Amino acid sequence: MSVLPTKQTFGERSRPFRWLLERELLRIYKLWTQTIIAPVVSSFLFILVFGLSLGDRIKAIDGVTYDVYIVPGLIAMAMVQSSFSNSSTSVFQARFDRYIHDILAAPMRTWEINLGMALGGVLRGLTIGILLLLASLFVVDVPVREPGFLILAVLVLLVMFSFFGVVVGLYAESFDHHQFVNNIILLPLTFLGGVFYSVNSLSPIWEAVTHANPIFYLVQTVRYGFLGRSDVDPWLALGVTTVMAIVALVWSSYLFATGKRLKA
Amino acid sequence: MSISPPALDIRGLTKTYDDGFEALKDFDLRVEDGSFFGLLGPNGAGKTTLISAVCNIIRVTGGSISLFGHDHQTLHARRMVGFSEQDVNLDRFLTVKETLIYHGGYFGLSRADAHRRANELMDIFDLAPKADTRAPKLSGGMRRRLLFARSLMHEPRLVILDEPTAGVDIELRAELWEYIRRLHGAGTTILLTTHYLEEAEELCDEIALIRAGKLIARDSAQGLRDKYDAANLTDVYLKAMAA
Repeated sequence: MSVLPTKQTFGERSRPFRWLLERELLRIYKLWTQTIIAPVVSSFLFILVFGLSLGDRIKAIDGVTYDVYIVPGLIAMAMVQSSFSNSSTSVFQARFDRYIHDILAAPMRTWEINLGMALGGVLRGLTIGILLLLASLFVVDVPVREPGFLILAVLVLLVMFSFFGVVVGLYAESFDHHQFVNNIILLPLTFLGGVFYSVNSLSPIWEAVTHANPIFYLVQTVRYGFLGRSDVDPWLALGVTTVMAIVALVWSSYLFATGKRLKA
Repeated sequence: MSISPPALDIRGLTKTYDDGFEALKDFDLRVEDGSFFGLLGPNGAGKTTLISAVCNIIRVTGGSISLFGHDHQTLHARRMVGFSEQDVNLDRFLTVKETLIYHGGYFGLSRADAHRRANELMDIFDLAPKADTRAPKLSGGMRRRLLFARSLMHEPRLVILDEPTAGVDIELRAELWEYIRRLHGAGTTILLTTHYLEEAEELCDEIALIRAGKLIARDSAQGLRDKYDAANLTDVYLKAMAA
């Protein structure tokens, strides 16, 4: 039988969390064609089709050529979907197959489990964002005018959608629920959030409607980080997205701390 | 002389599910360190609820659970329990070896210790030829072996086995019995739930009978036979459940 040490070092205390995070990364690695390559290729096709083939026929927006203008929004969209999908499917599958019991029974704090599962989404989203940026640099010259702001914006985006994914993974009763949120809510909000156009080109009514779309602010923060331009005050947009990220984080933490949706 | 705390001390445990079903009510149970304890009862009696509460995978409504003198929710207490569930609950993305290694990691083993222990258990349970096979591709018997091996990865002081031989062939059942006996012989406390009465009679020092969330009797197999004036444990069970 094992002899348990009475005092543990930080490295020993954090070991279960690090193994859980490694497991999340292993899952991404094992499914790399689906988890990494597919989203990068599909987003890159948007850049090629909308940017390069149609770009010449669309006039510059805010002094930026169309092929460059859409890249930040497409990178944001890819990161949103991948970070959300990763967390929601990982948590849902763990519940569905009940191997989450193995994790819940382990000597891990609830916040460590929550963080471990969400960090998988953060790192997958970040990887896809970087790969998509590198791929797009082969075909368009995308500047990074506000690097500090861009790092903050990307961090907030990834935190928001990774923890939101955890929440959806906890509430989902079937795989369809996860797909519903992704395809019926996130995707339309992203497309209508100014990825392909400036809201200044819309009628006043549609411009006002767009301002009610939370993804719009998120796209603006990432676009400002890259191009130094946005349709709204970038700090206001960052404030809105930060509040949403905190809501997702608190919601997810509450569910893990109370065990609701996680334990019968 | 110091008296070691019981392996499991449950006091006033109550569990009411969200749909209002009361699975356990004011349930008390004490299992001594080093014992081999069996829980018997019909489906829905509360056996799985009881052990799920001990292992922190359900929310308890009331009462207290302590493991070797520590509250069951503390990290220290959790490290001392190994649990093999009745239903197969394996991570579909992991191979046999990874399943063992990651479980060891979740319970605090270092990488070197996790690899060493995984190799050891794969040899013991004849899992080595399937080391690189993912759980969904294993046969039912191999999955059962893997579940059992996983629960032992971190060398727990209390091993909880929920119907460990349900649906396995006679050969594997005999193998598992043999290993469980050896484990107990080495000082590990065993808490076993089973529907096979001969399994309880063969293995357990003490047996508790549960019905509708309440403990109705506990004693050795011989003690239960005497108490119910029964020839065998099957008669004991039928009389106790009909009473």
